[in-house]
Amino acid sequence: MRLRGLLWFNAVFSIMPVALWASAVVEGRVELPKSHTAPVQAKRYEIVTKGGVLSTQPPLAVVYLDGAFPKLASLPTKQVAQKDLTFVPALLPVPVGTKVEFPNLDETYHNIFSYSPAKRFDLGRYRPEERPIPTQVFDKLGLVTLRCDIHEHMRGLILVLNTPYFVMTDTDGHFRLSGLPAGRYTLKAWIDSRTTREKPVELKNDQTLHIDFP
Amino acid sequence: MKLRVLSLCAFACTACAFDIDDFFDRLDTALTISAFHDNLRARLSGTLDLEIYHFEQPAPGLIDSSIDTLFNPRLTLFLDAQVGSHIYFFSQSRLDRGFDPSDNGAQIRLDEYALRVTPWDDGRLTLQIGKFATVVGNWIPRHLSWENPFINAPLVYENLTSIRDKSAPFSLFDFVYGFYYYQKYAFNPVIWGPSYASGISVSGRLDRFDYAVEMKNASLSSRPESWNVTENGFEHPTFSGRLGFRPNEAWNLGFSASEGPYFRREAETTLPPGRDIGDYREFVLGQDAGFAWRHVQVWVEFYEARFEVPRVGNADTFAYYVEAKYKFTPQFFGAIRWNQQLFGDVSNPDSGSVRWSDDLARIDLAAGYRFTSHTQLKLQYSYQHETTGQGRDNHLVAAQLTTRF
Ligand SMILES: [Cu+2]
Repeated sequence: MRLRGLLWFNAVFSIMPVALWASAVVEGRVELPKSHTAPVQAKRYEIVTKGGVLSTQPPLAVVYLDGAFPKLASLPTKQVAQKDLTFVPALLPVPVGTKVEFPNLDETYHNIFSYSPAKRFDLGRYRPEERPIPTQVFDKLGLVTLRCDIHEHMRGLILVLNTPYFVMTDTDGHFRLSGLPAGRYTLKAWIDSRTTREKPVELKNDQTLHIDFP
Repeated sequence: MKLRVLSLCAFACTACAFDIDDFFDRLDTALTISAFHDNLRARLSGTLDLEIYHFEQPAPGLIDSSIDTLFNPRLTLFLDAQVGSHIYFFSQSRLDRGFDPSDNGAQIRLDEYALRVTPWDDGRLTLQIGKFATVVGNWIPRHLSWENPFINAPLVYENLTSIRDKSAPFSLFDFVYGFYYYQKYAFNPVIWGPSYASGISVSGRLDRFDYAVEMKNASLSSRPESWNVTENGFEHPTFSGRLGFRPNEAWNLGFSASEGPYFRREAETTLPPGRDIGDYREFVLGQDAGFAWRHVQVWVEFYEARFEVPRVGNADTFAYYVEAKYKFTPQFFGAIRWNQQLFGDVSNPDSGSVRWSDDLARIDLAAGYRFTSHTQLKLQYSYQHETTGQGRDNHLVAAQLTTRF
């Protein structure tokens, strides 16, 4: 919950300069896919293990306003942590050029890597207390799938967007995107790696538009 | 122009690699089920290995083939299941040309199955029952094709010594020079591969220390057939254990020990009168160390082993290896491993003192490339040299393409 609040805060904060002239709002609901299957950890040769099961993260969508917007001068650094053998958050939308930190909050090694065309990297193994925290700058548009070389089940996503106007839905699919500039745009809802829905929108100042993605 | 075509190809590959990864991720989701509010979760996964070996005769290690170029495909299926938060089950079945690379026809086996109970969340105690890899040493966690930087095992896990578990030697001469008279698989290494013997284990973690002890139906040197509980009961169990210490995440140190009779039942009639299988044991002491940081991983294992051999006495051997892996890029890694096995002398009044197998040194070089997070190609070259006796050499070239799902 706190994370979502932070996200909201970040989204709002990052578009402040533009928001002075921008006051349109879009809200609505995205039809989310059925809940993910619960992950299973393979610990066949890790005979000394703890009890417990992996948490299931509900699917969320990212709603964003597509268009040619001026690049932001400074972008806040974001974080994708590794906690309890999962990525937190499991999905992070960021504007292109964002630096993301990958803190390890577990007592065990992780080895985060990505082979996605939008960003190819391998952070190697680093201890939780090591500083500086390893980072990567996401400077190419697209979807980046985060994986761990040690824990096969670990999967995280970073969606690198060309826009400062985006928001994550809640678990019911509801979203509210405010401080938008007036004009004609395409509103997109990213649902999963294969599904992005879109609708043309015409935004007017001080007006709230209601859009649903069935 | 060439460059442009190349970069176009590279781009196409990248794009299709992304699609392949996406496909496998979807397959993974399709092969994972959960029920009873996620309290029962199960996942089917696996690997498909296509291996080619080229070597000189006699074939090195545990390879059993009279053809010098051996094609060895292998399909491995894993089932991992979680019931609640304290019960875990896994199995590994394989379709291949034999447990070790050989020129046999196809066979299907259930190589591992185990039920694990972890009563406390902190992991102080874990009980496991079934047929599963030994707790000894530090090679087991990386013995499968995806994790192993090499295509084969370290020397001590695959070098056949003069030890034979199916029949006792009738003289010291027969023991030391048996290689000339018996088939390859008449002999045993100190540890046969991952040793998937049947039995139970108790393990756990206490702060920076961890422990694991197991009672298995077969010794570390025993052959894959002996691991099945249907073939070999618990009349002559082997006890093994490992005590581990992790000063921090980068280091993992361990001491292992194992003890148990190594002859199979059919050897009983060949033993000296009045003796039985329980009188001839394999003793193993092991020390292991592992280090990992950033893109480097290093492993070392030392093994001292003693076999009590009828009509011969104690046959001692010492083996070790040092292995290092480095990831040069996110997708490309290299690995190097230096292995050595040295043998002691055995003696009797008639024959005098003689080394019971030839000392051996082997260097393994490997390079691997991960095309996607589900496909990997490894190439390996090994040079093996007998440092005593006739000083025979063997060169092995191998390639392995692994697809995991
Ligand atoms: Cu991990």
